[in-house]
Amino acid sequence: MTDALSLTGLTKTFGAKRAVDNLTLNVRQGELYGLLGPNGAGKTTTLRMVAGLLKPDAGRIEVFGTDALAEPSAAKRLIAWAPDEPMLYDRLNPLEYLEFVAGLWGVPAKAAQAKAEELLRWLGLWDNRGERCEGFSRGMKQKTALAGALIHDPSLLILDEPLTGLDAAVARQVKDLLQERVKGGATVILTTHILEVAERIADRIGIIQHGRLVAEGTLDELRARTGEAGATLEDVFLELTAPDESHAASPAA
Amino acid sequence: MARRRWGRRGKQSNRWLMLAFTLGVPLFLTVVGGIPLGRLLSRVEVTPTPVAAAIAAFMLIAFFTLMLSQTLTAAVDALYERGDLDLLFSSPLRPQRVMTVRFLAVAAGVFWIFGYFLTGPLVAIAVQGHLPWLAGLVVLFALALASAGAGLLLAASLFRVIGPRRTRTAAQVTAAVIGASFFLAAQAHNILGEGRSQSLWQTIMRLARDPQVQVPGLDWPLRAMLGEPLPLAAVVAAGAGLFWLASAILGPRFAADAAAAARAGRGATGRTRTRFGAFAEGAFVTTLRKELRLLVRDPALLAQVLMRVLYMLPVGFLLLRQAGRGDDLLFPGSVAALCLIAGQVAGSLAWITVSAEDAPDLLASSPSPVALVRRGKLAAAALPLAVLLAPVLLPLLVLAPLAGAAASAGCAASIAAAGLMNVWWQRPGKRSEFRRRGRASWFVTIVELLVGALIALTAALIAMGLPWALAAVAPAALAGLILLALRRSDTQIAEALRVAS
Repeated sequence: MTDALSLTGLTKTFGAKRAVDNLTLNVRQGELYGLLGPNGAGKTTTLRMVAGLLKPDAGRIEVFGTDALAEPSAAKRLIAWAPDEPMLYDRLNPLEYLEFVAGLWGVPAKAAQAKAEELLRWLGLWDNRGERCEGFSRGMKQKTALAGALIHDPSLLILDEPLTGLDAAVARQVKDLLQERVKGGATVILTTHILEVAERIADRIGIIQHGRLVAEGTLDELRARTGEAGATLEDVFLELTAPDESHAASPAA
Repeated sequence: MARRRWGRRGKQSNRWLMLAFTLGVPLFLTVVGGIPLGRLLSRVEVTPTPVAAAIAAFMLIAFFTLMLSQTLTAAVDALYERGDLDLLFSSPLRPQRVMTVRFLAVAAGVFWIFGYFLTGPLVAIAVQGHLPWLAGLVVLFALALASAGAGLLLAASLFRVIGPRRTRTAAQVTAAVIGASFFLAAQAHNILGEGRSQSLWQTIMRLARDPQVQVPGLDWPLRAMLGEPLPLAAVVAAGAGLFWLASAILGPRFAADAAAAARAGRGATGRTRTRFGAFAEGAFVTTLRKELRLLVRDPALLAQVLMRVLYMLPVGFLLLRQAGRGDDLLFPGSVAALCLIAGQVAGSLAWITVSAEDAPDLLASSPSPVALVRRGKLAAAALPLAVLLAPVLLPLLVLAPLAGAAASAGCAASIAAAGLMNVWWQRPGKRSEFRRRGRASWFVTIVELLVGALIALTAALIAMGLPWALAAVAPAALAGLILLALRRSDTQIAEALRVAS
């Protein structure tokens, strides 16, 4: 089976800093992949390259077998990108926002309208459909952005810190939603600093540091790698990302 | 590396250009205004005659109106854009002191705008032996204090009467109307027709000269500007008094008002119609709808743009009155002015729709072609102008077909040129920056003005009919060449945006 996402030798440099360094990883179809790493590890840069927002200096990105660099439109059609800061328009209401996003992804109007209603009802935003997003709480904004990401039924859903700033109830709703999507056959990649979330919902976890993949696998595989059988993901993560002397000595390396 | 060096050099040359412009304007005003006026004053003595007093009072009222428009906006900003207010209010400083300093900054800001233009000429006059004329600057500062006080009182009154949610919109519209009122009054002869406005002006002058109808104290502003101690002290006391009154009344309340404004901002502001029509389809139409919705729902932007549109009013009235009346130069001149103003308004709208994108990553991550989305944005900038220009252009096409066609084509070309410039030389920013910037950059502004002027000249020459119309080829070709020289491909635009970020 074709991988949902395949990154080969992906590299991105900003000035003297190499944000992503020859990164190779594969995300299988229908799995929920947790991409973890300390601040500045290169997670967001990687995901932004996959979403077509940044051009890599080197390497290859394939989305369901489509070369995302050669055929960006075809790849983007399959992807939904939801960053940590919701990409919304304050003066639009959720329905208007979803109409716009559906238009960008070329969803037929009738199907988009029906899908928008379904999503807003599911996310508990139907009663707020006539209100402008400027008055929304952080959680409502995040849910509206999620609805926008799902309006075109993406095969690959990329979420950067989707749970940041959400209260427990909304966070639970988002986690359930992601698991539902995966059950429905979609692939989800998410980054999070809340390791318990990755521990609970991710099928496989990739840990990157200094732009390189330092470990990958299921939680059990990662535990086996560190040799700590009953360890939590936090223990494993801290063990694998412990300060590296060579990097400490030369930050630009 | 070379690109970065180039970017640095570009920024440096921009700084020099900015400095040259900043110093050049007051210098120019000093040379052409201050120095000759100083010489003239050595021969002519200014006495507070009723007519001179009326003119001075009228001028100060005009200044006050323009200042009030600025301070009202600043007062509302102080209420809604909290910035460091939370930090200051949580400090041991008394709220009244904090607000007095903030209000004083509002007054200083508005004084700076007018002082920038007037200081040079007034100093030049004073240096030539008319020291009391420096009192003009003191009067200006008193006026700034008064307008700050009045603006704050007006904002606070609106807050009390119509509540925090509506105050912002109402104040922005009021500020725009106040700001434009002086211009519209000055253009009364174009709007009302020469006969009626002349009689209005004549009435004012007649009343000024009539000894029976003397308004007591009308000559005090002029006397104050000429440096007479008592009138000057009175004007300063009036300005400072109004400012002190506003600070004393509003200082303690302002913290509570600002908190209420913040609560209103967090609440469900602006509920749009719950009934929602069928979804549109396709990137072009949905982008067009989105941009039009955002334009209509931003009262601050709308007020600013409408203020520019108001400048079209006198020109439009003039055009329709002059249509078919023959070969008066005023007529092609109005055609040119309409094209120029249309291009200017289009430039502002295009900057908002093209560059002031709140979710650029959403567009970049979508599979829609950039060109299609951009066309939707440009259409959103052009559509309101088409609606505003139609009532002038359609009757003109009937009354004077050649001029109507020239004006229509000129306006369309001017709008298209402004749109293209804003696409090729994008400078991303936030919508909230519009009030400060209004446009993409100085470079785009100057080119828009130059190309717009050439297109306007083309339209005016065509409107004059043969043989003048033959000469229209030259400015049209020059405008085309400038646009061709500045054209950028999508790749170049993307690269420029990357370097800028």
